[in-house]
Amino acid sequence: MSAPRPGSLITPDWLLSPEGRDYLTCILRKRKRRTFGLIERPVLPPQLPADVASYKIFVTGKSGVGKTSLVAKLCGLEVPTMHHETTACFPYLPGIQTSCVYWPAHPRHSDRPIIFAFQFWDCGESALKKFDHILPACKEKADAVLFLFSFTDRSSFEDVPALISRTLSQEENVARVVIGTKLDQFMHTDVTEQDIRDFQQTWQVPVMRVRSVNAPRLSDGRSLDGRTELADAAPVLNGLAEVLWHRDQITAGLVDIREGEISSNAS
Amino acid sequence: MEDTSVFLLCLTASSGVPLYCRSKGSNRQLTFSVIGSLNGVHMFANNQDVLLTSTRTENSRVVWRTFHDSINLIVMSCENTASDLSLNKLLENVFNAMVLVIGLDDLVNIKNVERLKKDLRACYKLIDGFLTESEKMADLTQCVDCIITHDVTILQECLDGFTQAAESDFGCLMAGGKVVTATEKWWRLASQDVMLLCWLVASLSSHSSRDYPVYLPQGSPTVPHRLLTFQLVSGVDVCILCGPSPSLQKVESELVERFWKPVVDPLKACLRVQLRSFPASIPLHRGIMGLLLVNRDLNKTLYTVQVHPLEDMHRTELKFTLDQRRAALRSFYTLALSHYLIPDNVDEKTIPCEEMFASGFSHHAHQCYTVSSSHKCYALKTELHLLFLVFKPEVPTFSMSTIANKTLQVFTKDFPF
Ligand SMILES: Nc1nc2c(ncn2[C@@H]2O[C@H](COP(=O)(O)OP(=O)(O)OP(=O)(O)O)[C@@H](O)[C@H]2O)c(=O)[nH]1
Ligand SMILES: [Mg+2]
Repeated sequence: MSAPRPGSLITPDWLLSPEGRDYLTCILRKRKRRTFGLIERPVLPPQLPADVASYKIFVTGKSGVGKTSLVAKLCGLEVPTMHHETTACFPYLPGIQTSCVYWPAHPRHSDRPIIFAFQFWDCGESALKKFDHILPACKEKADAVLFLFSFTDRSSFEDVPALISRTLSQEENVARVVIGTKLDQFMHTDVTEQDIRDFQQTWQVPVMRVRSVNAPRLSDGRSLDGRTELADAAPVLNGLAEVLWHRDQITAGLVDIREGEISSNAS
Repeated sequence: MEDTSVFLLCLTASSGVPLYCRSKGSNRQLTFSVIGSLNGVHMFANNQDVLLTSTRTENSRVVWRTFHDSINLIVMSCENTASDLSLNKLLENVFNAMVLVIGLDDLVNIKNVERLKKDLRACYKLIDGFLTESEKMADLTQCVDCIITHDVTILQECLDGFTQAAESDFGCLMAGGKVVTATEKWWRLASQDVMLLCWLVASLSSHSSRDYPVYLPQGSPTVPHRLLTFQLVSGVDVCILCGPSPSLQKVESELVERFWKPVVDPLKACLRVQLRSFPASIPLHRGIMGLLLVNRDLNKTLYTVQVHPLEDMHRTELKFTLDQRRAALRSFYTLALSHYLIPDNVDEKTIPCEEMFASGFSHHAHQCYTVSSSHKCYALKTELHLLFLVFKPEVPTFSMSTIANKTLQVFTKDFPF
């Protein structure tokens, strides 16, 4: 499956447009990201149309590359840091944890906005190794897999092709996205832009870059500034929306072709 | 050492290799020589066939425990509320937390110390919670903290149906880290296991759902079960304990909405009682500042230090702060249990009786109280319940018994707990 060119299917700054603003308020209130339980949905004013498109996304990669941090970042939650011991983070997860992100976007060829509901499935690498049921559980009905490497750890980058083939077989119809983390640590970077271009050329998989660092805090000194934090997450969320929207269109196209065959057979 | 710091050490029993060290209220690390001496003195005693269990100085207390001849836990506390009972509970909780995440096998047969050290990092959050917890009582009582809501009947029905549909007998609904209701079988799990599972869920940051392999320290320490949790609305989670099936995906996509969407309002209402743990409509005596009620059959507790939340809110400066009430309740509970209201099935090893008050008599105490200038405390023991109350100092001592009995009646007749 070829990857769409970034920005070709989703209007990047749509949420800041007058039309997008109304959609922004359903995920952001008083500059804080809203969270939703499993039986809740973002509420839009009745006159605003929006379909919800849900996707299951499995996040994988070597221990410590930043899977949990990335998911926290995309959800607008505090990114756990090792630096202050008081809020000691969970360096290893005992199992699977999932997090939902609602992301309104406007695909260029759609007449109405779509609310993308991404459910990220994160599991610590040690749990994956210790318990056999975890990998199949994460893959069950997944729409995409994110393969993470860290810019500060070259071996994690070199392991990506092997990681992909360990996780998915060739024929599995799942979108594949590679994400390089810890981009903010450019002083210690081990992976060059040329490496990334070569990789994309060889493997035909989109590569995104992230820095999972906390946004500045609001005046209360506790909560993160939702807007800055959303702006940080937007490129990745738009990128994922694009990849998954593209995949849906291909799938829908295939369905059309088959339907055509059936009807011609019947006549 | 600062006056509220607590240090916790974990070492291998055979060779004394430190596995981890956690602390509270101090930026300082214990030096290697202090760690060595603390462990050394215990080992030395051991070699002389002496079991060293605890010691105290003017401002600190140290407790040692060895688990399964494999893991040594040592705690050194400078908190003035610390007692042998509370520190022993702490060490048991910490060890149980290690079993919950790692499994007993890997703790008893240590093959690779470095690997174990790495694995143990997954328990830190849970362990730190036991060191710093201030909102709950379960760590001390080993009984899970609960709330009472009006809609419990309908929520119970949903929970039973949901749990059954997920091929399990063990289901529990939690709001704000406390139990709203649970299935019959869930209550029949060992009380420490129930407490620990709920503690785990309460200590984690918010997630839509989880699938965690857990070992139950009492019920199944070597074979893991799966703990599934689903966040229904922000702050409310439903948990299920199950075997290899069904998958997280299946329960989430097929059952969660079906069973819980119709009760979204009662679910949100659960969060409203939080500070008080029970609805504002339940009347309690004005003189009560703190309440701890233990159901001895189901091993569950109702606990609050905001008996009159509205009243408290209006007064900007509380005479007896919430933290002080909490501390008073904790130390009174400890005092009552280690001296007077001895539980029926005491295990001499786990509950150290400091003063053999009880052993000198053929009968047992059913009520006890303390009086100080800042507050008064009263405890009452019945067949089914233990009730502990913290009173304002102006409440007449002679009336405490009547108030306590009336309070207990509220929670046995009108709002049974
Ligand atoms: N500076 C910086 N640090 C990061 C970034 N992403 C993750 N980290 C740090 O890297 C460490 C590990 O991150 P996690 O997100 O816990 O790693 P993980 O992939 O979930 O690891 P496992 O759960 O063990 O498999 C943490 O201390 C994070 O704070 C990033 O983009 N920039
Ligand atoms: Mg992780």
